[in-house]
Amino acid sequence: MAFLELANLKKSFGQTQVVHDFNMKIEKGEFISFLGPSGCGKTTVLRMIAGFETPSAGSIQIGGKEQGNLKPNKRNIGMVFQAYALFPNMSVHDNVAFGLKIAGAQPAEIDSRVKEMLSLIKLDHLSDRYPYQLSGGQQQRVALARALAVKPQVLLLDEPLSALDAKIRVSLREEIRAIQQKLGITTVFVTHDQEEALSISDRIVVMNGGRADQIGTPFEIYNTPATRFVASFVGTLNIIEAKVVDPAVNRIQIGDQGVTLKQSIAAFKAGDTVSLALRPEAGSLSDTLPSDTALTGEVVSAHFLGSVIRTRMNVGGNVISFDMFNSPGVKPPATGETVTLRFMAADLLVIRD
Amino acid sequence: MKTSRLGAWIAIAIGAIYFILPLIATIEFSLRMRRGVYSFDAYASVFSEPQFRETFGYSMLMALLTIVFGMLLVVPTAYWVRLRLPQIRPVVEFITLLPLVIPAIVIVFGYLRMYNSSSIVPLTGTTTGTNILLMFSYITLSLPYMYRAVDTAMRAIDVRTLTEAAESLGASWTTIMFKCIFPNVMSGVLSGAFITLAIVMGEFTMAALLNRPAFGPYLQLVGANRAYEPSALAVIAFSITWLSMGLLQLVSRFHRAAPAKS
Repeated sequence: MAFLELANLKKSFGQTQVVHDFNMKIEKGEFISFLGPSGCGKTTVLRMIAGFETPSAGSIQIGGKEQGNLKPNKRNIGMVFQAYALFPNMSVHDNVAFGLKIAGAQPAEIDSRVKEMLSLIKLDHLSDRYPYQLSGGQQQRVALARALAVKPQVLLLDEPLSALDAKIRVSLREEIRAIQQKLGITTVFVTHDQEEALSISDRIVVMNGGRADQIGTPFEIYNTPATRFVASFVGTLNIIEAKVVDPAVNRIQIGDQGVTLKQSIAAFKAGDTVSLALRPEAGSLSDTLPSDTALTGEVVSAHFLGSVIRTRMNVGGNVISFDMFNSPGVKPPATGETVTLRFMAADLLVIRD
Repeated sequence: MKTSRLGAWIAIAIGAIYFILPLIATIEFSLRMRRGVYSFDAYASVFSEPQFRETFGYSMLMALLTIVFGMLLVVPTAYWVRLRLPQIRPVVEFITLLPLVIPAIVIVFGYLRMYNSSSIVPLTGTTTGTNILLMFSYITLSLPYMYRAVDTAMRAIDVRTLTEAAESLGASWTTIMFKCIFPNVMSGVLSGAFITLAIVMGEFTMAALLNRPAFGPYLQLVGANRAYEPSALAVIAFSITWLSMGLLQLVSRFHRAAPAKS
């Protein structure tokens, strides 16, 4: 049985339904990211787990216990907010000790736990400082220590890195993942940043319009996106419109060039239009790399991006981008030049809307 | 450019003379009780008056009670409106502004009609009841200032997120209110408190019509019957107001000196 189970979760605000039949089972110690654009319902699901929003329907169980009737202060859930939410009138020590005092812990126990938490986030030397004396990154680490101090059964992170600058974001996300793995705490992380989600999650839930479009490991989400939305939201992807020629042998046509897919298209009829996805890094102009499929087209543009050259080519009305590593000995293709893009047919994925 | 600056300085000088000259005259007059020399005799006379001590003490106590009960009403109200009922904020703001547009005499006559000794709530039937009624009258009078001061302080902190953070750590409503919200809106609470103190110490209409021994009616009484003491009392009253305003500035400056980093 899963540790955290969300079943048929729905949420409406007035006439607007923002979460539709959300189902998920999360194992103990798992790190799950809810990924999606603003307004997709990811924060609403998180807030329902925390108890700050009441589901319109469905159930939330933690360790087999229904949480629906429990108030937020009875759920034993740690939460870290985007805006840090440290108590401005309390020192770092008192902020971390807050939950322990409420739980009625003894002063000696509180002190030792606060020290342990501050050493975990490497801020033990700042225990007497006040929030306004800390940088954003330090404040967020204190917020993390405060949430973890009470030994919550689930840790919820609501876009905790969004207010930080890029460099601190990367170091803090690695720190969060390391602490999560060390403590083995079940964690749900909300983000709209695909790189964050891909880099630290055990599994990702890609949300769109209040629904989970796809749930999978970062590898699965990136390499085999289930829907057009997932494909376009996670990473850069070429969407190619092709015509089905013979569904029995998975034969399609892109412009006037025929391609045989590895994936079945038996559900389509001859003449149907099918959407295909191809990652920019899957193709190459080189004929020395392994490939079983080729498309010829005219170069629209070639952009030098330092380590890579991103080239856009037109194949039967579809503009396909592909990346090549920069090599001083190889000239980038010129605009208007006819080139042949080679790739493995298995990399060409059929996606549903 | 230079002409306009000169004009501005002249305007400031005229304004300053208009305000400061009567004040200097009052202070100077309050020191002339002894013939031919300046002395503090008028102040000594005022301070030795038992009625001064009684009325001053009474008004100070009323101010303190007004501040305590006013804040117990205003802080949770402002908090609740911000957290749960933001849509009714304009209505609450309008209600809190009413004491500014309804004259104090109208309010107190309304109270006397509602709470007289033959009404359902006969507050004016006893001295304690009348004192309670006067305190609530003062709360009404100071409501526009108190509410705004507290609401502005709440705007400076993220009330909703702080509440949710405290809730997720297991805090109850009373803990959230007294450990997380009150201490962080203390600058607003103190600002409201000092304004309330200044209002209560000088208020005449309500105390006079409810027949309570407050400082305002005493000021009026002395002013009608003595020569030098009213000037000394006016200076004392001004000093209390200025002290309150000075403390208000100090508190708000102290609060500004410690902004939260992002």
